[in-house]
Amino acid sequence: MLKTPEWEMMIVWYFFLGGIAGGAYFTAAIADNFGSARDGAVARIGYLLSLPLTLVCGILLVADLGLPLRFLNMLGTFAFWNPMSIGAWGIGVFGAFTFVSSVLSFSASADRVALRRKVGLVGSIFGFFLASYTGVLLGGTALPFWGEARLMGALFLASGASTGMAAISLILFLTGGASGEGFGKIKKADRYSMLIEIVVLAIFLGVLGSAARPIVTGHMAPLFWGGLIGLGLVVPLALEFVGKRARVLTAVSAVLVLVGGFILRYVMLMSVQA
Amino acid sequence: MARTLAMFTDTSLCIGCRACQVACKQWNELGMEAPEWTGTYQNHAHFTDQTYRLVRFIEEPKPTGDLAWLLMSDVCKHCAEAGCLEACPTGAIYRTEFGTVNINQDVCNGCRYCVASCPFGVVAFNEESGTAKKCTFCNDRIHNGLGPACAKACPTDSIQFGFRDELVARAQKRVETLKGMGFKEAQLYGADGKGFLGGLNAFFLLLSKPSTYNLPDSPKLPQRNIVADSLLSIGSALVVGLGALLAFRERGNGGGDA
Repeated sequence: MLKTPEWEMMIVWYFFLGGIAGGAYFTAAIADNFGSARDGAVARIGYLLSLPLTLVCGILLVADLGLPLRFLNMLGTFAFWNPMSIGAWGIGVFGAFTFVSSVLSFSASADRVALRRKVGLVGSIFGFFLASYTGVLLGGTALPFWGEARLMGALFLASGASTGMAAISLILFLTGGASGEGFGKIKKADRYSMLIEIVVLAIFLGVLGSAARPIVTGHMAPLFWGGLIGLGLVVPLALEFVGKRARVLTAVSAVLVLVGGFILRYVMLMSVQA
Repeated sequence: MARTLAMFTDTSLCIGCRACQVACKQWNELGMEAPEWTGTYQNHAHFTDQTYRLVRFIEEPKPTGDLAWLLMSDVCKHCAEAGCLEACPTGAIYRTEFGTVNINQDVCNGCRYCVASCPFGVVAFNEESGTAKKCTFCNDRIHNGLGPACAKACPTDSIQFGFRDELVARAQKRVETLKGMGFKEAQLYGADGKGFLGGLNAFFLLLSKPSTYNLPDSPKLPQRNIVADSLLSIGSALVVGLGALLAFRERGNGGGDA
């Protein structure tokens, strides 16, 4: 009889916000490096969003420990094969990158912009890491539902991307930047990420087969099918298509993507725990 | 490393007295827990932060229509390849010079990753201490020339303590004896050092197949999934990154369709 770690809401929030932080950062870095000058708002929002979120992530992670004051014990070892160990290091390194990128995003001088772009590219590696390692961490446990598909990391990464992009687009919309060129691009990138997420999720369910019962037919099935698949993925994609000329609908779609991202972490974590 | 120590639990000798369970509680100063109805004499249903030794009472239907009453004193297996030890990010879980696996309570910070990484559901979280708990193989006793409290208390030698190689040889003979007596399903669980998890330093003689005792037939190290999961994450990152790249690279048509 396997035991579950009884990680609760703090860890659900951590997985959710960590995904957004990582997704927003690498999206910002891609917009910064490969977009046009008019995508600057996307890059700035992405960098500036990832900094406070990563800070909150760190606080959640420490607060959830049985003995929070012993958090530093995690930094007394470095086990590169252990997601929990490199996660503690990774979030610290990523936090430093978000800080540097955020500071540099206030400068318009050419050499600082060039530096920011380079920092963004390297930091993106850690952004991808933060968005996905939490899934790999679950995959490395003895629980078949978390581990057997070996796709939890890929799934969390796609969700981190779609929620990070949704968060940037929502902030753009709320700050009046929805008429700019960047808004259309980030919405397009978000649609790609959602499609990838749907594909990964379908493979995940297919590979797991009967081991997927906790979410497919268990007591969280309504939340999974209605909340994540329906409200969190299908409806937002549909809104994108009917809402091409009505930006408020695309903002609603972004909110739903965020809700879906939270539900994904919630059902994955809580459906197998008591 | 010193010669590996082991515990051999011969379930064919267990009479279900639970002296081991009580001795474990007394020596390790574990608290009492309210009894729970499990449908059998067994208490509790699972290992907890206060129960490191647990006598299982199992009723197995026989082809004749009778029930076989199987008793088994279960404990942390002290795996040679231990999922909890691999999962621990602080180094609190360590292997002793005798080959046993122990949790340093002064280092554990209560992240609970080991709880989910034990293939047998042994490790439990203690809310009061904020740390993970499990059988210590009576680490204090074996470092002072004594055997584990459970083995000491066992009145039928169902739990035997000693050097692993000697115990395995004894266990193999015992299986042959039992088979000769008509116990066709008698088998060792975890005795093979080349078998699953590199062998268990607390191994068992069972009178039926492992699943009857709620033991996995072939437990695997949970960390085996990490490499594939990581590589698939990197693949996913490349596809997602490429998608974003395509979305942002477009120029000249007003940034796509919005």
